[in-house]
Amino acid sequence: MRMKQRYILVQIHPYGVAPDQREVYFAVAEAVTSLWGDVAAGLAQPAVVFCGGGYAVVRCRRGTEKDIATALTTITTVADERVALRTVATSGTIRALRRRMRPIQPLPEAGEVTIEGHQFMVHRYPRQKVDLVEKGIMHQKSLFFTETDLEER
Amino acid sequence: MATDANVCPYPAGDSTLARMALEAAELGFDSIVTIGGEGSQSCEIEVLRGIVISAPSQKEIIRQVRKPAARNADVIFVNAGDIPFNRAAVSIREVHVIRNIHAARKNAFDHVAARSAAERGTAVDISLLPIIQYRGIRRQRALQQYADLLTLKRRYDFPLTISSGARSILEQRSVREAQSLCALFGMTGTEVREAFSSVGRIIEPERPVRVVG
Repeated sequence: MRMKQRYILVQIHPYGVAPDQREVYFAVAEAVTSLWGDVAAGLAQPAVVFCGGGYAVVRCRRGTEKDIATALTTITTVADERVALRTVATSGTIRALRRRMRPIQPLPEAGEVTIEGHQFMVHRYPRQKVDLVEKGIMHQKSLFFTETDLEER
Repeated sequence: MATDANVCPYPAGDSTLARMALEAAELGFDSIVTIGGEGSQSCEIEVLRGIVISAPSQKEIIRQVRKPAARNADVIFVNAGDIPFNRAAVSIREVHVIRNIHAARKNAFDHVAARSAAERGTAVDISLLPIIQYRGIRRQRALQQYADLLTLKRRYDFPLTISSGARSILEQRSVREAQSLCALFGMTGTEVREAFSSVGRIIEPERPVRVVG
């Protein structure tokens, strides 16, 4: 018998991080199992049905969406990358959630800055937000500033 | 008024005070209490300065609260310790909040400390950090400690504060998310809202009106 489903739209922070759908699923499954246990996780049947543009859609059984949303707040990493998943909305259809997606694009003025001897790539976002990502191949450090903070340096 | 009772911005964390304030505003907060941090003072929301005192004895707390750094702070936190320490700490007038209860031993904050806290208006902080970051037995212990604390709060009616303990914008959580996390140990929505607004009441307690002049 087909059960009713609920879909949870989450925004992935920091902006610019694009994790793989599979990796997001593993993080969701770990968080749900760790918080609610195997039985609840099995009954809720969480799954990631969409991941892209800074958003992910998590599917679960109707009636378990609050528990799943609580578990989503305990996610701190996806594939060893530090993230936060912020719940935006819950709905019975993916279509309704797609209307709530407003992808946040970086502003064109990129650049470089050196802080404490480390070189960072500058990514600017609306509302004066500036994300600094250390230049390198692996385990880059990220700093989160505002335009004013950057000007003061 | 919702206040995140503890954030640790750059250089302790990876996000500046202004950025954390910006994120807090988006997450539904009206003010934050910052421990340390530097940079721009022009923030979107009210930023209160806090100081954390880690002391082995009551004498040491009294010595530290008289230092200029503590006198200039809006909120003075003391890290919880064993039973006698916590009983003594809540009775010090300058101390506003007892924090790190989850790291103290079970029942370290007992009914005697709870009664004193209620009489003097000293708050106890509930940090969301162990619920978000810890897994397994450590998180279970934290939830148990918070559930015990909530039982004492309902009986003696001392103030609670809720903090994210965030060192990064990625560790900050919204008011709604905090409500769902606090529901894990039985806190109701009303209690969460009251706890979020208690920092304002602690730093500016209600007193009888004085006629001056």
